[in-house]
Amino acid sequence: MANQETKQLDQIISSRRAMMTMGGAALAGLILTSTGKAQSATLTDKDVLNFALNLEYLEAQFYNLAAFGVTIDKLPTPIPVAPNASLGAAGTVTLKPSFAKVPFSNPLIADYAMETAIEEGKHVTFLQGALGSNAVSMPDIDLYTSFNTLAMAAGIGLAFDPFANDANFLIGAYIFEDVGVTAYHGAAGAITSKSILGAAAGILAVEAYHAGLIRTAINQLDAGSGALASLTQKISATRSKLANPSGTPVDDIGLTTVNVSLNASATNYPATTFVDADANSVAFARTPAQVIQIVTGGSATNKGVFFPGGLNGTIK
Amino acid sequence: MEKINEFIKKAVSRRSFMAGAGTAAAAAFLAGCNDATAPPSSAPPSGGTTTPPASKPDNDVLNFALNLEYLEAEFYLYAATGKGLSSADAGSGAGTTKVPAGIAAVPWASSGLAQYANEIAQDEVNHVRFLQKAITGNGGMPVSRPDIDLTFFAPLAVAAGITTTPTFNPFAGPSPFLIGAFVFEDVGVTAYHGAAGLLAEKTILGAAAGILGVEAYHAAAIRTLLVGMAAATSDQTYVDIANKVSALRATLGGGNETTLTSKSIVAADTTNAIAFARMTDQVLHIVYGATGAGLSKGGFFPSGLNGTIKATAS
Repeated sequence: MANQETKQLDQIISSRRAMMTMGGAALAGLILTSTGKAQSATLTDKDVLNFALNLEYLEAQFYNLAAFGVTIDKLPTPIPVAPNASLGAAGTVTLKPSFAKVPFSNPLIADYAMETAIEEGKHVTFLQGALGSNAVSMPDIDLYTSFNTLAMAAGIGLAFDPFANDANFLIGAYIFEDVGVTAYHGAAGAITSKSILGAAAGILAVEAYHAGLIRTAINQLDAGSGALASLTQKISATRSKLANPSGTPVDDIGLTTVNVSLNASATNYPATTFVDADANSVAFARTPAQVIQIVTGGSATNKGVFFPGGLNGTIK
Repeated sequence: MEKINEFIKKAVSRRSFMAGAGTAAAAAFLAGCNDATAPPSSAPPSGGTTTPPASKPDNDVLNFALNLEYLEAEFYLYAATGKGLSSADAGSGAGTTKVPAGIAAVPWASSGLAQYANEIAQDEVNHVRFLQKAITGNGGMPVSRPDIDLTFFAPLAVAAGITTTPTFNPFAGPSPFLIGAFVFEDVGVTAYHGAAGLLAEKTILGAAAGILGVEAYHAAAIRTLLVGMAAATSDQTYVDIANKVSALRATLGGGNETTLTSKSIVAADTTNAIAFARMTDQVLHIVYGATGAGLSKGGFFPSGLNGTIKATAS
C-alpha cells in the first residue's frame, strides 16, 4: 500500500468518509466535487475481490472451527484453500493445543454459529468462483495467539479464548463482523463493474446481518449485567484506534445505551447501539489499508495477529 | 475481468431464478447491472403536483428511497413515542399519516424491546434527514412525506392468513411490534440492494451502501429477537406469523425471501449467501400490497409515492 497513487486513493476515500460523518452539509458539498472516477486507476476489481477473499478465509475458518471443529478444507464438502496451486500453497491455521469446537450450552447460539459458518464458507466459494484462475490461496491464519494479543491490546486480559464458551464465541465473532461491513463498504467505491458491485453489496448486507445478529445476541445474553457490553466497547475502541492511529475520526461504536431525541421531542429516549454506524446512521467505511491495520494489529509490515505472514494478493 | 462478469451474471441469474423471481425479473436486474446510467424505465408520466424537477437520475432513486424511509420512520416513531415525524422532517406540504384509533407508544412493559425500537427509530429519522440533504446536495428537490396508512397492517394480516378479520395492530404490544418491524426491514435491504445497480455517482452509491448495511443490522436484530423470544417462551406463534408475512412478501415481491428459523436468521440466497435484491417494481408491489402493472398507489401509500418512481411497469 506504499505507492503514491494508493496513498492518494486512501486520502480521497478517508476524507470523503470524514466529511460524510460530519453531516449532510459536508456531503452535499462533496457530491458536487466527486472524484469517484479517479479510483479505478490503481485497483482492479480482481485486486479488490482477492482482498475480500482473504477476509472471507479468515471468517470462514473461525466460524467453521467454532461450529464444526474443522477447517474448511476438512468439511464433508471441502472448500479448497489453494484453488490455484500456481499462485502458491495454502497457509496454515494456528490453533491452541488440544483445540476443540465451542462447547455450546445455548442451542440458539450453536445455531447462529452454524449458520454463519455455512454462509462465510459460501462467500469463499463464491469469490473463488468469481476470480477463477486468479483466486489467491489462503494465507497463514492465526486463531490462537492473535486473540491473546488483541485481548492485551484492548485491555481485556492476558489471554482470550473465543472457543471456550457461548459468550466468548460471540465476542470472538464481534471482532470480525463489523469489520467485514466496513471493508466491503470501503471497497465499494473501488469496484468498476456494476455486476460485481451488486454482488459485493449483497455480501455487505449479509455481513451486516451477521453483525446485527451477533450484537443482538450479545445484548440479550448480557441481560443488563453490562459485562459483555464492556468488552464490545473495548474491542470497538481498539479497532477504531488501529484504523485511525491519530484517534480521529472514531469509526466504531460498541454496545452501550445512548439517549436519542427521536422526533424533536424534549424527552430523551434510551437506545441500545446495536448498529455500528455514524451520526447519519450510515454504516462506517474503511479503506483496505485501514482494514489490514486492524487484522494485523497495527503492524508496520502488515504482517501479524490474524495474518502472521500477511495477506495474499496485490492488496496487502 | 470479463470472466468475472460472466460468472456473476450467471450466479445472479441463477439466484433470481431459484428465488422464483422469474426470467423477467432476472433480465431486469441484469439490465440494472449495465454500466449505462439511464433513468429507470418504469418512471411514469408525471400526473401529480408533488413531482419535483429531478435533474439527475440518481435523485429519482434517492427520492424513491426517501419515500420508504418516511414510511419506516413514521412506523418506528409512533411505536416509540406515539407521534410521527416533526413537520420540519416531513417536509412542506407533507401528506397525512393515518394511524390506528387511540394510537400511543407500544406498551413495552419490561420486554426490553423499547431500546431496540428507539435505536431503529432514530436511525430511520437520520436516514430521512440524510437523504433529504443528499438530494438537495445533488441538485435535486427532496419529496415531502406522502400520505401514509399505518392501519394497512390489519388488512395485510388478513391477506397473509394471520387473522380472519382486519384487527392486527402492530402497536398493541412488543410481539406485534416485532411483526410490524418484520414487514419492513428485509424489504429495505432488498430495495437498497436493487437500487445500487441504478446509481451512477460513486459517492451516492457509497452512502446508499452504508444505509443498506444499517437496514441489514436492523433486519437481523428483528429476526434474532423473534427467534430468541420464541425459544425463551417455547412459543413459536410470532415466528410463524413472521413467516406468513415473508410468504406474502414473496408472492408480492418476486420471491427473494428466506424462511425464518434459528438456523436461518440471514435473508439471503442459499447458493452464494448473497442478500436478495429487488427491483423498484417488486418493492412497489409489496408496499402497495398488490401485484400487476400500472399500480400507482395503495397499501401503505394510499396516494402513492411522491417522485418519479411511483407506478409499476410490470
